[in-house]
Amino acid sequence: MRWYHSLTLRLLLLFWALLFAVAASGFLLAIWSAQPETPRPLSPEVRDILSPLLTDQSTFSSLTPGRLLAGDYRVAAAVTPEEGPNRLQLEPNLANSHRHELMQQLDAEQPEKLRLPNGMLVGPFKLGNQRILLIRPLTAEERESFLQQAEEAEHARTLVLLFGSLLIAILLGFWLVVPLKRLTQATREIAAGADQLYLKRLPKRTDELGELARALENTAHDLKVSRDAQRRLLSDVSHELRSPLARMQVALMLSLDDQNEVTNPHFQQLSRDVERLSTIIERILSLSRLENGLVKLTPQPVDTHQLASTLVADLAYVDNHYGERLLVLDADWPVTLTDDELLRLVIENLVRNALQYTSGLVELDCVRENTETFIIVVRDHGDGVPEQQLEQLFEPFFRGDPSRHHKSGVGLGMALSVRAANVLGGSVSARNHPEGGLEISIRLPLNEVTNDDTNAVTSEHEADETQG
Amino acid sequence: MTKLLLVDDDAELSSMLEQILTKEGYQLTLAADGETGLHRALSGSYDLILLDVMLPGIDGFQLLQRLRQQMRNTPVLMLTARGDDDDRVQGLELGADDYLPKPFNPRELVARVKALLRRTPNTAVIPDPIHYAGFYVDPMQNEVRCDEHVLELTPTEFDILRTLVQGQGQVVSKDQLSVAALGRQLAPFDRSLDVHISNIRKKITHNPERIQTVRGRGYRLLQLA
Repeated sequence: MRWYHSLTLRLLLLFWALLFAVAASGFLLAIWSAQPETPRPLSPEVRDILSPLLTDQSTFSSLTPGRLLAGDYRVAAAVTPEEGPNRLQLEPNLANSHRHELMQQLDAEQPEKLRLPNGMLVGPFKLGNQRILLIRPLTAEERESFLQQAEEAEHARTLVLLFGSLLIAILLGFWLVVPLKRLTQATREIAAGADQLYLKRLPKRTDELGELARALENTAHDLKVSRDAQRRLLSDVSHELRSPLARMQVALMLSLDDQNEVTNPHFQQLSRDVERLSTIIERILSLSRLENGLVKLTPQPVDTHQLASTLVADLAYVDNHYGERLLVLDADWPVTLTDDELLRLVIENLVRNALQYTSGLVELDCVRENTETFIIVVRDHGDGVPEQQLEQLFEPFFRGDPSRHHKSGVGLGMALSVRAANVLGGSVSARNHPEGGLEISIRLPLNEVTNDDTNAVTSEHEADETQG
Repeated sequence: MTKLLLVDDDAELSSMLEQILTKEGYQLTLAADGETGLHRALSGSYDLILLDVMLPGIDGFQLLQRLRQQMRNTPVLMLTARGDDDDRVQGLELGADDYLPKPFNPRELVARVKALLRRTPNTAVIPDPIHYAGFYVDPMQNEVRCDEHVLELTPTEFDILRTLVQGQGQVVSKDQLSVAALGRQLAPFDRSLDVHISNIRKKITHNPERIQTVRGRGYRLLQLA
């Protein structure tokens, strides 16, 4: 980047130019509004009053500046016929402040009147080659209108400056903010896992903003590369661990015939451990995928009540007793836009946990918290969990009661639920129910789909699927 | 004798699986890499192909893709050691009939093999042709026509569509379809049926939505005017 591409320099120059422009326009406006008034024709009455006094040569030549002529009219300037330094005579006060107007008016063709701040200039009156200008004080009315005009000019000037600077400020704001907004959007896209950013011409800019845009593009690319590497590593590790497990399972079966298998407790232990090991691997991989944002979400309308019921039916299929202990409560279960597999994963792990650690009824309930969130509640009727352990409940490999290790799962279910709920934009919390038992709340965003458009959304979603 | 082809680079696992499947009365041929696997699959006449995803040379997906271009009638059971659900779905999309994630219980493998073979009709009484909603199913020719065009279907897709046409517009549950096409009940978390349906829709050029999803119940055919 060359020095003249620097945004600092550009901003400096821009602000400088801007301040200069505002100051200059204020200055110009002041000059414009202070422009002298244009002379107006003299009314015939005035001429009629003054003309008789100015027809006589002797009177005319005796008129020197300052002299009172008639009424309030006083001589302001005179041009005498004699050549010499005294040919032009001006009233000293006026000569100081309005010489230009006096000279201009002396050369006018016709007698006119011109308003000055301190009087009304009338003339020129000519006789032979003599000319004079008269002045009279302003009437109260004229003074009033003069002040009003000055005030109006002041207001106009203020308004023009105000709106002019506002316009410039808006343009400047957009110039600065539009690229920033786009960059913010791009950062969000990166966070969401995009590798192609929508930055338009920003990366081609030569200044700091362009530099930032290019850096963002590189970051997005690097992140994609590392995410891909991570995904590859996960799948490699998974493959390397599963292959020996698969062999172990087959070898176990081959090493014993059916009779032995049923009666030999060592075989049963081995078999269970192989299965548990593969469950642990599966869970760790799921957890790692969730934590590294490698899970693809496919949001679609999900009937939460149906999801809960199907889950209960599936668990009842696994173990008859589970079916008897599970209860989906009648509640206002919403149909919401979410990822059904992930949501099922969240609930299933919590429910399985409750089934495993307690022996009583496990209830599934749903509460609408407000228009934006709803809560799915999983409640058991066991002994609950000591208050100080409630937080640890969701940590990987934490198991509440050490004495129960042998019959429990692998200690990853709760952690998985929490991560999956986070991916769905929700959270999981636990508390001991006042009437006993552990109550776990899954708080999720509510993107309700009304029954009417459920079908429409379904077919749209499937149309997408079909095309993709 | 029923002939199976196992394409897997894990030699130890392959030889053990050979013992188990031979004991079950199948004749198993092994292939340790993709090239050999594809060559064997195309040259021999196998009743079922067991296919691992991670293979040296061309991988399981590529193998499946090339196989399906030339031979669509042999059922394929994918064995996946990768954890990604995407992998499983991808296999089904490329024309596999079913998948089994590693590590698997060997009994489960035998059950899946039996189910897929049982489902493939070779000697059964040939029923009469049936038709509904623009589909014409001819079990004799093993052929489905949609609006007079022949659809290139895998055996599983064929069975799913046949079951739907047999339903004559009634809702057919996912379990019914799974039993008819895969020879087994649908397991929890199992998306394979949905993927097969989506595959069939892709092959129907005109009005694929005539295969309608009935939320929570199953699928049915719609008579579109």
